[in-house]
Parts: sequence; C-alpha cells; structure tokens
Amino acid sequence: MSTFYKKLGAFIVASAMLTSVFAGCGSSNDSGAAGTGTAVSSSGSTAAADEKTDPFMKFDKPVTIHVGQQAYPTQKFPEGDTNEDNVFTRYLKDNFNIEIVVDWSAATGNDYNQKVNLCIASNTLPDGMQVDRKAFLSAAKSGMLYDFTEIFPKYVSPQVKAIMDSGDGIAYEYAKYNGKQLSMVGVDVAPSGQSMLNIRQDWLDKYNLKAPTTIDEIEAVAKVFKEKKPAGNSTIPIAGPDKKSSVYTNFLQAGVMFAGFEPVFAAYDAYPGYWIKDGSGKAVYGTNTENSKKALERLADWYKQGLIDPEMGVRDSSTELVNSGNVGMYFCAWWSIGYGTTDAYKKTPGANWQAYPVKADDGKWYTRMQCPVASYTIFNKNISEDIAKAAVIINNIWVRDENKLGSQNTSIYWYPLRNSMGALDECETSYKSLIKVLDGEAKAEDFNDPSSPYKLLYNDAKNVTTVVKDYSKEKQLSISNFDVNSPDFARLYSILIGARPTALATPDKLIYSEVYSQTPAMEAKWANLETAEKEMSLKIITGKDSTSTFDEYVKKWNNEGGAEILAEVQKEMDSKK
Amino acid sequence: MNKRMSSLKLQTHYSIMVIPGVLWMILFNIVPMTGVVMAFKNYNPGLGLWKSPGVGLENFKYLFSMSDAQRVIINTLIIACSKVVLNIVIPLAFALLLNEVTNMRYKKFVQTAVYLPHFLSWVILASVILNIFSLDGIVNQITGIFGGKPVIWFSMASYFRQLVIGTDVWKEFGFNAVIFLAALTGINPNLYEAATIDGCSKWKSIWYITIPGITGTIVLLGVLGLGNVLNAGFDQIYNLYNPMVYSTGDILDTWVYRIGLVNLQFSLATTAGLFKSAISFIMIVVSYWAAYKLADYKIF
Repeated sequence: MSTFYKKLGAFIVASAMLTSVFAGCGSSNDSGAAGTGTAVSSSGSTAAADEKTDPFMKFDKPVTIHVGQQAYPTQKFPEGDTNEDNVFTRYLKDNFNIEIVVDWSAATGNDYNQKVNLCIASNTLPDGMQVDRKAFLSAAKSGMLYDFTEIFPKYVSPQVKAIMDSGDGIAYEYAKYNGKQLSMVGVDVAPSGQSMLNIRQDWLDKYNLKAPTTIDEIEAVAKVFKEKKPAGNSTIPIAGPDKKSSVYTNFLQAGVMFAGFEPVFAAYDAYPGYWIKDGSGKAVYGTNTENSKKALERLADWYKQGLIDPEMGVRDSSTELVNSGNVGMYFCAWWSIGYGTTDAYKKTPGANWQAYPVKADDGKWYTRMQCPVASYTIFNKNISEDIAKAAVIINNIWVRDENKLGSQNTSIYWYPLRNSMGALDECETSYKSLIKVLDGEAKAEDFNDPSSPYKLLYNDAKNVTTVVKDYSKEKQLSISNFDVNSPDFARLYSILIGARPTALATPDKLIYSEVYSQTPAMEAKWANLETAEKEMSLKIITGKDSTSTFDEYVKKWNNEGGAEILAEVQKEMDSKK
Repeated sequence: MNKRMSSLKLQTHYSIMVIPGVLWMILFNIVPMTGVVMAFKNYNPGLGLWKSPGVGLENFKYLFSMSDAQRVIINTLIIACSKVVLNIVIPLAFALLLNEVTNMRYKKFVQTAVYLPHFLSWVILASVILNIFSLDGIVNQITGIFGGKPVIWFSMASYFRQLVIGTDVWKEFGFNAVIFLAALTGINPNLYEAATIDGCSKWKSIWYITIPGITGTIVLLGVLGLGNVLNAGFDQIYNLYNPMVYSTGDILDTWVYRIGLVNLQFSLATTAGLFKSAISFIMIVVSYWAAYKLADYKIF
C-alpha cells in the first residue's frame, strides 16, 4: 500500500514538473529493502551488540544494500562482469557478506544528477547513493537521511578517521546538517581546488622561451605560439572552457573548471564565484568586484587577440581539444595533466606538459581553495542498522584496499558508493616522498604502513622507479622520463608534474569561500543569478558584450535577490565569529 | 433509453478495445495532474505533496517578478510560433511542387530522402549541426570562398533563433509533406481534367482545386500546432544552446529544467509548467473554435 502511494507520488511529481524530459524514478523498492534489512538486523545485531566494533567485520548473514549508481559509459567491465557482479561486488560479498543490488543506474554527469534530484523530489531514495552538496542539503532538509552520528565513530577505521581529521575536522562539519552527521563525505586533496598553468614545455624550448609565471609573461608566450603556430594552422595558444563548463567554478561546485580561468582572476586578486571579505571585513560576492572586472577585461583582450580558443563556450569538449595536441596552454588542477589527458601523450608523443603556478604582477601567488569535501554518500533514513554499519565498512574497505582493488582491470569508478578519500596534503606528501625514493634517500618499504592516511603511497613508491627512467636530480622531470604505457603513468605524472607547484612552494594567500552552501534566499533565487552570471562572463570574454555591461550586471544581480542573499551570507559569517 | 442501451451493447467489444488506451491516459495524463498543487505550495519532498506548506500564489508572483521570465516567454513564443507557421507553409509548398513531378521514381526518391531526418533524435542531430556550423565547419568554408569571415554561429545570440527554427523545419518538413501528399491524392482527378478542358492554367488549378481540396488537412495541422505554441522544442534547444545565447534561445522548457532538475526548485518549476499548460489549453480551445468557425472543420 505505502509503496504504491510512494510510487504514485514519485510519478505525479515527476510528470508534473516536466513531462517531456524524464521517466519516473519509481524503481526504488525501499520497503522491500528495509524488510530484508530488518530481518537481518534482528538476528545480527544481538550477536554483534556485545562484541567490540570491528571496522572490517564480516556480517554473519548477508546484508543487502540497494544503491543508485553512476554509470561510466567509457569504462568497460571485463567480459562477463556487470555493475552488480564485478571484482568489487564479489570482493565485498566474499569477504564481508555485503551484497550490492543496483536499483538504478544513470550515466555520470547530468543524467545521474537528474535521477538523484528526482529521487529526492519524489522521496524514493535507494538505500544509498552518491550526491553533490546541493542534493545532500536538499535531502537533509527534507528529513530523508539516515543519522550516522552514532554509528560512524564506532565503525570508522583509523585510516579513514585520519583522513577525516586531516583538515582540522572540517570534513565532519560538512557531513553534518543541524548538528547530525547525515552523510558520509569524500575528502578531496587540497590541490584539486587550485588551478595551475599547464603548458607545452617542448614548445617553449623550441622557441627558447622561459616558463611564464605572471599574466604578462603568459600573454607574451601566447603571442609567440599564435605567431609561430607550432601545431600548424589549428594551433590554439590557450584553451578555454567548453559548452558544458563555465569560466570558473563557484562556491557550490567542487574543484576547478577544466581549462577555466580561475588563476587569471586570482592573479588580479579576484575570486569570482566565491563569497569573500572585502577590505573592511564585509561579505562580497567575488564576481562583482572591480578586480574581477579587470580580469574579465584582460581575458576579453586575449580573446580579441586570438590567444584564447575562439570556440570557447561552444566547443563540445576542451579535454579533447587538449588531447588533440593543438593547444599550448590551459589552466586546471593537478590531476588534469595526467589523469585528465592521458590521450594527449598517446596522440602526440613527446608532448611535454608541465605545470607552473600563476602569479600576480608583484610576484605573489594568490590562489583560491576548494571546500575540502567533494562528494557525499547519503543513505535512506529507513535503512536497518546493519546496512548503516555496512555503509561505513564499505568506505573503510575502499580506503584500505584501493591499491589492491584498483589494479584489477576494472575502473575504480565502479566501486559501489565510492567516496574519493584523500588526506588534504596527500599530493604534496606523495610528491616529496617519491622524489626521495628517486633520489635514493628512501626505499619503498619505508612507506609500508597499512594505517597511513596516504593509502596509495606505498604502491606509488614501489612503482615510481619502474615508471620513471633516467632520473637526474639536476634536470626537471619531463615526459621523456616516463613510461607512458604503464598503468601507473597517469597517477605518477599527475603527482610528480601536476602537484609539483604546490609541493615545492606555498601560496602567499589562500582564499576560501566564506560559505560553501546555499542560504535560504539562494534556494529560490540562485538559479536565476547563476544563469545571468554565466552569460555575463562568457559574453564579455568573447566580446559579445563590452565590459561596460559589467556594471549593469552587478546592478541587476543586486536587484534580483543578490542583495538579500548577501545579507544572509553576512549573517552566517557573523555567526561563525 | 432502450435504444441507447442496445447500441451500447453492440459497441461492447469496441469499448473493451478502448480500455487500455483510456487507462493509459488516466494513469499518465490525468493522475499526474494532481501534481500541479505543488505550484501553490512550498514543496518539501520529505513531507510529501499534501503536507507541504501552502503558499498561495507566492510562486506565481515570484515567477513573474524575475526578469528572466519575460525573456523566456518571448523567446518561447517567437520560436514556437515561427515553427508552427513554417512547418505548415514549407511542407505545403514542397508537397505542391513534388505533386507536379511526373517521374514517379524520382518523386518517391525525393519523398523518402527528405523524410529521413525526422527519424534522427536531436541528441545526434545537434552534434552534426554544431559541427556544420562550427568555426572550421562547412558553412564557414563556403562563406569563406566568397570572402566572408568565419563566424561561430552558435555563439551568436542574433542568429540562434533563426538557426533553431531553420534546422527544425529542415528536420520535419519531409514528414509533414507526406501528410499533405496523402491529402492531395484524395482530390478527385476529374476536377483537374475538367479544369484543363476549361482552359485553366496550372497555377489557377492549384489555387482553385488543390488548395480548397486540402484545406481540412491544413486547418487540422494548424490547430494541432497551436496547442504546441509554447512548446518550442526542449530536445533541440537543450542540445544546441549555451550561456552565450540564453538571451534569445532560452525557452520555458529549458528554464524549467534548470530550475527544477538542476537547482531543485520543484515548486517554481511546477509553477512555470502549469503556466505553460494553462496557456496551451487556452490556445487549443481557441483554435478548435476558430477552426470550426473559419473552416467549418471539427476534429471531434
């Protein structure tokens, strides 16, 4: 009966909002799931109650978790495996008696988010699924989520705890809603929120250029690239964001845009998309500042000169553009140079991508920092206690066994309810440790510590000497040192090249957004303001609108709810003091 | 009464055959209508549809106070109306021309060829079209021959509507032309013979025989089209647009999508959807009435 009504409700909500776009999300058989769960817990919990809690315990009876899963169309399974029966699910079943049932799956990105939002709208959450902050808060506010406040500390493994603690406990703060821990969060390494200049060192060498550090120097190099056309007529000195992305990420989004322009803004001491303090300590929206305007003017000038991809904002994929080998520079975080663009090295052998920090004219390095919590796994409030325990344990297992499970021919993306867990300083620590190994100052065995939060370091240290060849302390590592075909290439290149800037130097100023979540007024008004902002930034840079329209935009922004939101942000900032 | 009952009895098997369709309609078209109450509530999924607090007309007030709303409605009207009109005029002209072709093989070939794009989904077609109009696409290469400067067509707000309308008409005109061609075959050939004997020119026979002969079909397509006057084509625009062309290309459906499914503003999205449905409903009633008055044509 209640299931029927739930389904009906789901269906009504779905259809009423937009009949043409989606099909209902009625497959979550939650009453059935809860039923099996309770049956297990009634017998299981009595046995487990007196025993001490084991973060890697094997359940006496199978515990079934119904999940909503992101699907990765490009990541194929080995012959015969499926998203319900693969190396990960078998591992969980055989060793821990945890069974994964995929209630539904949707392609990662828009499709998946849409499905998640529908499940929330219709209150038909599966037992567990992965969501972003916006969806987490929405579900939490509606009171749909399981409270992990008690279970999590009991069953968390020391390793996961170390990672959660790595940012002064900020991760716990984000996992909570109204003081209750309503989600399990993924902690992302800090450099994921810092954009660097990625540049073709081989092109620089070809024209005897020095690696640029400031905006002026970048412009000078871009001009040379444009003039000399090292990749022929289709040479693009600086890639820009594609049609799925925007010029910069805002406070609600994790990480940075691929080929966005965050560092260009930062070099002007501008932090668009973030809530920051002005000189007097009052809240301002980073986009609406004079410095942002200056940066936009500069970017518009670059675009006009033909230094930025003329098809920015319209192009299907900037990643493919970079992979094509026609691009000289782009801005992105540490992972982009390895994980993000492995094809680039296959298509253009010898493409020597290097990462450098972008500095302001005065030589200072300003950078914005992301919210350290990048992903959320949420659970239906109706799940049994055993499922909740299993949820914590799945996460523990992942962090402990990623190095073992990750090299088994199945993409790590398919691990059920996978939260990426990395200590905030994992990249920097890994870089320094690996260089020590290469220098011969340390051995891989030195890092063999199963409880270390740097879970992949031991593995990396073992691999680094085979992937990196002809290492010399005096020379900067380049692509010719790396074995491109090694399965560990992407990771090691990302760490040794992409994370080098943050490992070797500390930025002079780190800017965090004052809030990383929506205030009440934002819930109603943000969609509109965000649209206007995206439109404004793209149009000004591509010269469709002159920079004088910026002031009109700010005015409009304030009139249409921006001022109200700002007041709320101010209130939130004051309450933190 | 008795007579009526017996006629119902005669129709029993027909009625039974209709049941699945009626059930389908109730389940998918009538039942979901209850969801419109969301437009008058501050919908909280945890509380459910009925327990969420009511807010009266607050959502409507807010909807129309947004500067986007006006822009979106104007865009929708322009794009949808142009599509409705052109999707009648162009296929009609094409059908009339094709009807004059005497080589049957050629006629069949053309008919099939122009009909094909109808079967492609916009997801696929959009990337083809974006490619054709990209910086180094065919269009720019052709204009380049005549000394034109390459333009990124889909980043220009001033071209976006024309491109959307044009590509939609290109995709659909073959399909609509088939309907007209079918109607054309229904005209009694004796009329044409008589006209020829009376010394009527080709043009005049089209004007006085062909057009009146298919007025019913034209009106029918027009009436059905009017109901779509606020349906500017989500599939197409969602796959073609980008923030640079929001000013001319953002339509009600894409806007509702962004508000509702991307930003989780369920109530506001429903409000916009309800508004759209209400306008569409009025348009259908008016056009139905107009079709009856003007062309003496009744659908039901």
